[in-house]
Amino acid sequence: MRKLFICFVALSLVFCFAGPTFAAKGTVKIGVYLPMTGPVAAYGQMEWAGVQTANKIMPTVLGKKVELFLVDTKSDKIEAANAVDRLIKKNKVHAIIGEAISGNTLAGGPIADKAKIPMVSPTATNPLVTQNREYVFRVCFIDPFQGEMAAKYAAEKLGAKKAAILVDIAQDYCVGLANFFAKSFIKHGGKVVATAYCQTLDQDFTAQLSSIMAAKPDVLYMPNYYTEVALACKQAAELGLNVPVFTADGAQAPELITIGGKDVEGIIFTGHFAKEAAATELAKKYIDAYEKDTGKEASAFDALGADAYFVLMDAITRAKSVKGDKIRAALASTKNFKAVSGIINIGEDGNAIKSLVLLNVKDGQFRYLATLNP
Amino acid sequence: MEEHHRRNQILTVIAVGIGLLFLYGAQEYATSYQIRILNNCALFVILAASYNLINGVTGQFSLEPNAFVAIGAYTSALLTLTPAEKQLSFIIEPIMWPLGVLHAPFFISLLAAGVVTAFVGFLMGFPVFRVRGDYLAIVTLGFGEVVRVVANNTQTITNGPLGLKGIAPHTNLWWSWGIAIITVFFIARLVRSSFGRAMKAVKYDETAAEAVGINAFWHKMLAFTTSAFFEGVGGGILAHLITTISPTLFTFFLTFNLLIMIVVGGLGSTTGACIAAIIVTFGGEYLRFVEEPINFWFIHIPAIPGMRMVIFSIILILMMIFARNGIMGTKEFSWNWVLNKIKPVKIFLRKKP
Repeated sequence: MRKLFICFVALSLVFCFAGPTFAAKGTVKIGVYLPMTGPVAAYGQMEWAGVQTANKIMPTVLGKKVELFLVDTKSDKIEAANAVDRLIKKNKVHAIIGEAISGNTLAGGPIADKAKIPMVSPTATNPLVTQNREYVFRVCFIDPFQGEMAAKYAAEKLGAKKAAILVDIAQDYCVGLANFFAKSFIKHGGKVVATAYCQTLDQDFTAQLSSIMAAKPDVLYMPNYYTEVALACKQAAELGLNVPVFTADGAQAPELITIGGKDVEGIIFTGHFAKEAAATELAKKYIDAYEKDTGKEASAFDALGADAYFVLMDAITRAKSVKGDKIRAALASTKNFKAVSGIINIGEDGNAIKSLVLLNVKDGQFRYLATLNP
Repeated sequence: MEEHHRRNQILTVIAVGIGLLFLYGAQEYATSYQIRILNNCALFVILAASYNLINGVTGQFSLEPNAFVAIGAYTSALLTLTPAEKQLSFIIEPIMWPLGVLHAPFFISLLAAGVVTAFVGFLMGFPVFRVRGDYLAIVTLGFGEVVRVVANNTQTITNGPLGLKGIAPHTNLWWSWGIAIITVFFIARLVRSSFGRAMKAVKYDETAAEAVGINAFWHKMLAFTTSAFFEGVGGGILAHLITTISPTLFTFFLTFNLLIMIVVGGLGSTTGACIAAIIVTFGGEYLRFVEEPINFWFIHIPAIPGMRMVIFSIILILMMIFARNGIMGTKEFSWNWVLNKIKPVKIFLRKKP
């Protein structure tokens, strides 16, 4: 016990001498709070890579160096709130990027709002995140919009009258999206003939798919994550359920194809970003830089991370100041900003108004189909 | 009767007084970040101390606090949210009738959170305590998951996956620490009473306890329901601290965190649970500096996210090897122990001149 104690004291002493790097004066400080560890760490890490690449492309603003401060949230609400308070009080940042998921952004938002520090979230899609929050913005579209566009496309382009929904009830994102889809589909004159439920990590979907088959739908909407989508597609093919499968941005991962194989051929989904559709100057520059930096293909998450950074830099440039209220006003008046994931306008409530891309799987690859405008 | 009972009581009152003075100072002069950490400490003291009652004192290894905290948090949040805010938030389905118009002050909502959660805990106790040991852990774990999935899918009550937002930030240092002190005081008294001794008897040998006339089932129920009450109140404090709740907050990881705290503190020791709750919460924030880029004289270490979890795990492993009983073991903090430790120093000082 005594030895342990001595070790402990020695360690603490070592840490006392090691101080954090001191910030140079006259920099623009951007705080980044993301889930770098925990259940949704994958998103946080992708977005952080995107932010870093964006920072390399545009390292200065208003002639000052941009300094990034990363704080991990452990994919947890309490930690997210701590992180934002820490960035504001301890690091004294001028603006904040984050969080990756809605629940945590809901926890961080009010703190930034109260301190009047603008916050831009790359991928928080829950509509409540920015509601009544003057200082909270986002660069992604919101879930009701994605559900609405999917329903519209299914009803108008696919000519579906009857839709079936298979939803993962353990995931907040999936339940929300399924609800918005159902609402819009009915509004567009369709009917939801079957709703079946599954859970994350389920392996067997045959019972749900059989009940869906009995209802004879024209389209099957599965706004779930890629693993469940791929497995359900495989089993649907085995059962002979031959209807178009429609899903959402949670399916946009290479694993969908490695798990699903030929059974995910033809599956359609809505997404934030498609490399082929990236038309802006910035997008080309970003994709090159990102792929050179990381050796990975650019995806929606890192592109949106970069967009959060670029939109913020654009606002600071136009505001000609790093004062919170000035940046906020500039952010709110963002018009036709040519970002990586498309053209971004900031509309009511700090939500991005932007187009959505439609992709499908063909020959074992994601293919860009169309761009759907709001 | 304990030695020096009166003196110890006075010392406790003085200690609490000093604590309150400290809180007053913090409320006045500390930054919102520091206040937030102190609030988190109080929150986890409430949760760990009450969890310890069922897990440590009564020895029933259960894994349900995330469910209790969830029920408490939703109950109290739905009561304090203004009808206007509720209408704004419930965009998929409108809120169920009486909930939409109900509105209560913070204190009432906390009380309601405790009562509702205790009631659920009471009902749940009947099926749960039909099993023991590992089976009990699995049944309660299942209950925790059920509550989360129900919260995700009852749109008209919990707003489903969208969660609730705009909860008034009522939780300040007075509320959080006030309730923490009441919780710890109540649980400490309960453990010392005849009920508490019976609970301990159940922990060490249930059959022997039954043989001497202790009704094991009802004592487990008492511990479980009391624990549920305070977990529920803690849930209310939590909801009004982070001002938003959604089902993702109440995963097994919350339970897991609390479990670490009570094991680090020493299973069965209420004061141990409190000390560990403060150390783990405060330490977690303090250790963040290891995730920042560090200049160690002339060696530059880049930022490594997740590093503090590695250090934390190493400390836990070392503890499990060298100090398996945790900080306090099954002992409790006592003034007699402190004064006995000070005595040699006093004698030494007196001898000097």
